[in-house]
Amino acid sequence: MSKSGDRRALRCPRCDRAIEVSKLTKSTLCSGCHRTMRTEDETVTDYQARAEYFNEACVEVARKGVIISEVRVRSLVVKGEVKGPIRAREEVTIHKTGKVYGNVAAQALSVEEGAILVGRVEVGPGRPTGGPPPVIPVAVVSAATSASRPTAAINTKAAAGAQ
Amino acid sequence: MPSIPGSSSETVLGADATFKGELSYEGAMRIEGKFDGKITSKGRLVVGKTAHVSGELTVAHAGLEGQFKGNVVASERVELTGSAQVTGDIRSPRLVVAEGATLVGNVVISPEALKGEATRGSTEREQILAHSGAPAPARR
Repeated sequence: MSKSGDRRALRCPRCDRAIEVSKLTKSTLCSGCHRTMRTEDETVTDYQARAEYFNEACVEVARKGVIISEVRVRSLVVKGEVKGPIRAREEVTIHKTGKVYGNVAAQALSVEEGAILVGRVEVGPGRPTGGPPPVIPVAVVSAATSASRPTAAINTKAAAGAQ
Repeated sequence: MPSIPGSSSETVLGADATFKGELSYEGAMRIEGKFDGKITSKGRLVVGKTAHVSGELTVAHAGLEGQFKGNVVASERVELTGSAQVTGDIRSPRLVVAEGATLVGNVVISPEALKGEATRGSTEREQILAHSGAPAPARR
């Protein structure tokens, strides 16, 4: 029933796996990392502080919108404020009322007069290079931290015993 | 791909010219050759498509069409055309990046980008570090 024109190619913002879905799909499950991936265009009009803001679609941060998070999207339009690293597969546009504090990696960047941008910028054809940086779950980080403590304690005892 | 228009009274460093050192001028200048050093001016500078420029630029208006490596401080605006390949830091109140341009570096674009660099710079750095995941430097 479905035609090839009704489908669109996406890439998972977490694991960079290529996925093909229907144009009407609002969210899908990545076959690589098995995590839910939003694929619907969105406008942020309020304050959103999150660990991550991933959406494989066009995201607009309205004038009163604030995102404090790591942002990985297809394209981003900032009329409000974004604090955090931005990674866009296509274009990042910062309007004259927009404020961006964070590193920006995108294929193209447009900064209007009066906009504020503070951060490291990587812009150009073929960028962002490579796949996205891995998203490390909090549990793994805490486990790694707690695992490293006893090792240090053992070493300290061993050193004390040697003396 | 549109290029940045020059003025009739601009100084031109030709495509076959190589310059090393410090340069200052008034008005406008276009570089088409190789330049390595420091440029200070209150005027306009255009780095042409065939140019290879490295060093420090302190100008009012910087138009970059070719290859540039170094830092730019522009009191008015920085423009990158589609053919520009820029590696380095940019500090200016305005930035225009055309599609196809390559830019890698730290950027501070703000109407107050050039005011109170010492105090504001550290705040901006802290803001970037706080949101980029890197540990913030310890205060003394």
